[in-house]
Amino acid sequence: MDEGLSFEQSLKRLEKITETLQEGGMPLEEMIALFEEGAALAKTCHERLNKAELKLSEVQTMFEKDEKSEESA
Amino acid sequence: MQVYSVAQITGYLRDILESDALLADVWISSEISNMSGSSAGHLYFTLKDEASQMRCVLFNRKRLSVDIENGLAVVAHGRISIYEVSGAVQLYVDMIQPTGLGVLNMEFERLKAKLAEEGLFEPSRKRPLPAFPEKIGIVTSPGGAVLHDITNIISRRYPVVELVLAPTTVQGESAVPGIINALNALNDRGDIDVIIIARGGGSIEDLWAFNDEKVARAIYSSKAPVISGVGHDTDFTIADFVADKRAPTPSAAAELAVPHRDEIETHIGSYIATMAASLSNSIERGRQHADELYATASNQVNNEISVNIERLRGQELKLDSLSPMATLERGYALVQSHANGEVISNISQVERGDMITVQVSDGQFNSRVTGSKKGLQAWMKDFPSNSH
Repeated sequence: MDEGLSFEQSLKRLEKITETLQEGGMPLEEMIALFEEGAALAKTCHERLNKAELKLSEVQTMFEKDEKSEESA
Repeated sequence: MQVYSVAQITGYLRDILESDALLADVWISSEISNMSGSSAGHLYFTLKDEASQMRCVLFNRKRLSVDIENGLAVVAHGRISIYEVSGAVQLYVDMIQPTGLGVLNMEFERLKAKLAEEGLFEPSRKRPLPAFPEKIGIVTSPGGAVLHDITNIISRRYPVVELVLAPTTVQGESAVPGIINALNALNDRGDIDVIIIARGGGSIEDLWAFNDEKVARAIYSSKAPVISGVGHDTDFTIADFVADKRAPTPSAAAELAVPHRDEIETHIGSYIATMAASLSNSIERGRQHADELYATASNQVNNEISVNIERLRGQELKLDSLSPMATLERGYALVQSHANGEVISNISQVERGDMITVQVSDGQFNSRVTGSKKGLQAWMKDFPSNSH
């Protein structure tokens, strides 16, 4: 699977493959290739959901470091 | 020295008064006196206390949500300008409430009505939230429990995202510019899919920054859709009304921002099942098709074989009809010389007294020639092949 795909793109591709396979009407070799791609996508989506760790970053604002100690909310 | 007309000076005064930010948007607390109405529906009165008084006018009294009367303690909102005809400085009132209701409450109602009229709360301008966001902006205090709760919830539900914190104070003097600055900082990045603006519970004063008009307009003009999660579920702020989606609490805002991974897993599972079913259906269809092809092909072969058998049988019949046996069966006979077995086909081959052998269909007999005569019997002459 292409690691460059975002999670959403992977899901969308998986959905599209499922629809294509449902419609059928293509040579069996192509169907098998699509099925293999879909199965790999499903596996990586599953793994990403279960292994991902939330990324937390911060954008620069006017908030001053010394304000943090006063902040109570 | 320059001498002015009264109109020039009152006009100058009006310009000064109307360009002042405080006087353009002011709340005054006092008591009503000298109230009178006009036939056009306007209301004139004076606000006064022990030391001073101010003329007031309220155009179109239908905007009043409560009845007012002389002696009532009120808080009035409006702008201060000069009525040049009389030279009087007066308050042009757009909202007035009995003092008991509280100024913040009234300001809230006033701003809410104003922004609603401007269309900032229109359901049609609420943008849909992305189903699978990749970057989520968080406008909140960096130190509070709110950020911790949001991080926990999103980490549990949908950990494939990145949270981008835009830290700000959320109460006090710096909260309004801080929140606006944080929203802008996130929008300036251009890669934020949805923004959560959140604050924990508190008094109406604590939450006041979220009822600020400038904050409301910053939310309205945010490029990324905004989810508000301010206070508890009983708190409603102007930010809630203008946000694309209002969540009752910061935690609820986090839940609205991302899908739940269990739902996604369910989807993935059904995709796999559908793919597998489609594939095995196709294989089954392929097998049936192959069976049909085989059946058709063997039918064709069988047909060809039977055609050939028919043809052979036809040939056999033809052969039968050409064999001498069939001729004998039809009543003809084979005549041979008894002496040398020569087949007799001309009368010149025999003479009176010769012994001949006559072969018929089921046997033969010997015979002696007793006489001969040239020529055919009359009925045989009709056959064309004998004409030569």
